[in-house]
Amino acid sequence: MSTLSLRTQIETRFPSAFSTYRRSDRATILTGISEVDALTGGIPMHSMTEVCGMGKTSVLISLLAHASHEHYCALVDAKDAFDPVAAEAAGADLSRLLWVRCGKTRQKLRPLEQAFKVTDMLLQSSGFGLIVVDLTDIAEKVVHNVPASSWFRFSRVVENLPAALVFIAQKPHATSCAGMVLRLSAEPATFSGKLLTNFNLNADVLRTREKKEVQSARPGFFIKAQWA
Amino acid sequence: MFACLLVPDFSVQASLFSEPRDAREILRRSPVTILDGPSNLPKVIALNDAARSVGIEVGMTKLQVETCGGVLLRKRSLDHEDAAQAALLECADAFSPRVESTCPGIVILDLAGTEKLFGSPETTACKIKVSARQIGLHVRIAIAANPDTAMYAARGFNGITVISPGDEARGLAPLDVGLLPATPELLEVLDGWGIQTFKSLAALPAIALTERLGQQGLELQKLAQGRTSRPLKPVEPTPDFVGEHEFDDPVETLESLAFVLNRVLQEICDRLIAQSFATNELRLTLDLEVRQIHDGKEGEQYKHNWKLPVPTQDRNMLFTLLRLDLERNTFSAPIKKLTIEAVPIKPRLAQGNLFAPPSPETEKLEITLARIRGVVGTLDAEGINCVGSPKTLDTHKPDAFAVQPFSSATENRNRPVLVPALALRVFRPALETSVELTGEAPHLVRLWRKHRRVLAASGPWCSSGNWWNETTAWAREEWDIALKTFEGIGYYRIYLDRIRKRWFVEGVFD
Repeated sequence: MSTLSLRTQIETRFPSAFSTYRRSDRATILTGISEVDALTGGIPMHSMTEVCGMGKTSVLISLLAHASHEHYCALVDAKDAFDPVAAEAAGADLSRLLWVRCGKTRQKLRPLEQAFKVTDMLLQSSGFGLIVVDLTDIAEKVVHNVPASSWFRFSRVVENLPAALVFIAQKPHATSCAGMVLRLSAEPATFSGKLLTNFNLNADVLRTREKKEVQSARPGFFIKAQWA
Repeated sequence: MFACLLVPDFSVQASLFSEPRDAREILRRSPVTILDGPSNLPKVIALNDAARSVGIEVGMTKLQVETCGGVLLRKRSLDHEDAAQAALLECADAFSPRVESTCPGIVILDLAGTEKLFGSPETTACKIKVSARQIGLHVRIAIAANPDTAMYAARGFNGITVISPGDEARGLAPLDVGLLPATPELLEVLDGWGIQTFKSLAALPAIALTERLGQQGLELQKLAQGRTSRPLKPVEPTPDFVGEHEFDDPVETLESLAFVLNRVLQEICDRLIAQSFATNELRLTLDLEVRQIHDGKEGEQYKHNWKLPVPTQDRNMLFTLLRLDLERNTFSAPIKKLTIEAVPIKPRLAQGNLFAPPSPETEKLEITLARIRGVVGTLDAEGINCVGSPKTLDTHKPDAFAVQPFSSATENRNRPVLVPALALRVFRPALETSVELTGEAPHLVRLWRKHRRVLAASGPWCSSGNWWNETTAWAREEWDIALKTFEGIGYYRIYLDRIRKRWFVEGVFD
């Protein structure tokens, strides 16, 4: 059997067997923090992003504030740590935010399992432009034990959706399944007299699909407190 | 063609309607009067021909009637009249799908297209009369080309009257003008002109009549000529979207229940679709078989209502919602009866907005939310929803929020100026801690089972509220502090509950 006929037979049964995989066009959602946006170009759609380190919640709130005016957003809050007052003060449209508070009732599943199951459901129910999963307060070793197949599945599902999937955690766990890994770090905050005014942050892009090398936004940027 | 069924002396016939057939026929030939009005002075409001023949008239008092002797006096019953009217409508329904309940004792039905079923108008009228007599009502029937002509003919002529199209004026000619809906003053004017019948009114010149009596006079003339035309207002049958199933043997498994549930829902949805309705509220009742029934208690029931944000006719969606709820529940006894009621409303007619962001499909979203509730639960310990849209409350109390049902049909708000701000990760509930003070400021804070030195502190920021209510009053003294932790420096918010005199960690800045 010639190679050509073999190829034809295979393509008859599996049309995309020899086609080149093309990733979706790069659309992004801006975080609203100019330094982070300049560094990353925004949170990529059709992709899984991990945001970790200190300052991630401030980035999350800013991201929700921006995204909620253009997309319906979902926040899967594994430990119920989201502060709606801060989000509204930052300008988020809370009516477009679906907040899922895991671990608040006695259920068979643990908060991490609940969060992953809910994320699966949200991905299946298309229509959300941004899905954020906050795993920050889950013990690191527990998140570390999540099988790679779970991350891989999320990554493949979101590729075909007009949505950005963002995981917020203490450290990156999804390895190569993540389209982008953004690590934040904090320098000592500024206390102006008796007032905590600024949170001084640095951002490093540990991984993107296009550029593998680490990029940093140094010298850092700062986020002001609401009262400052 | 339109047929008018008129029950003469309706109140009398209605009062006899509940009597047995034989007694009713005897009473019909006896003088019967219906009284109504104040209990101390009831007056005759209706009577039959037999009562008229003994000299009784409308408006006579009870005492006057009693002097006649042998007259049956009955008090007016609106229930009986409603029942008689319903029976009359039911009788008319058998001959036409379009039936108007014009007024008590009168119904008009549209006979268009019924010739092949019931024959000529005369034959149809005879059949209707026989049918009405079988249910205990003696009716006059008139058939004409328009509803008003049929009604006046039925009012004016006994038995069956058929007026051919184009012959309305001649058919109504002998009727008395008193049958027309004119004011007493107008009737007096007509009487003064010597106008006694429909024929004489119809013969008047229209312009001159309008000049003297206005539009009302012209309308009356058109009625007398049988030239009016109005659409029929058919009675809409009250839709019933209730399905129930009683099990021969009470069921214990969800599979057995789901099988029947699906079938009942299918029937309801078919009915909704057939009548161009949808539903946005579903009520489920499960009767449980309770072996011991005490004190006349009828047994246990499980009831649940679902309110959907949009109307739907989708059986699969409704079935999934019900099934997801039933999966979450356990019942104390087997289920012996299942009842589902759908509240009908008009289906949603909405056009998508090209410029609105893509939103979750409402029907699909409801199922997703139900599934998510199945995973994370419905309400937390404080009774706040676990799934929904957060909503801040109109209070200065920190971390005060509500969670309302999420809907994908929200309007786009004006985009405010967005400024990134420092966010707090909230510990719910707040972690109780112990704090050592140096002067007023915290010096050592116990966190994660260790005392940690405070590197910097901002505060105290005092706030309080609800001081007028002892149970809900709150007062606190906040400090934003920097602590040395394993991972470096952590920034926390702690507060002193000034009412309970205890320290708490509210959250961490992140």
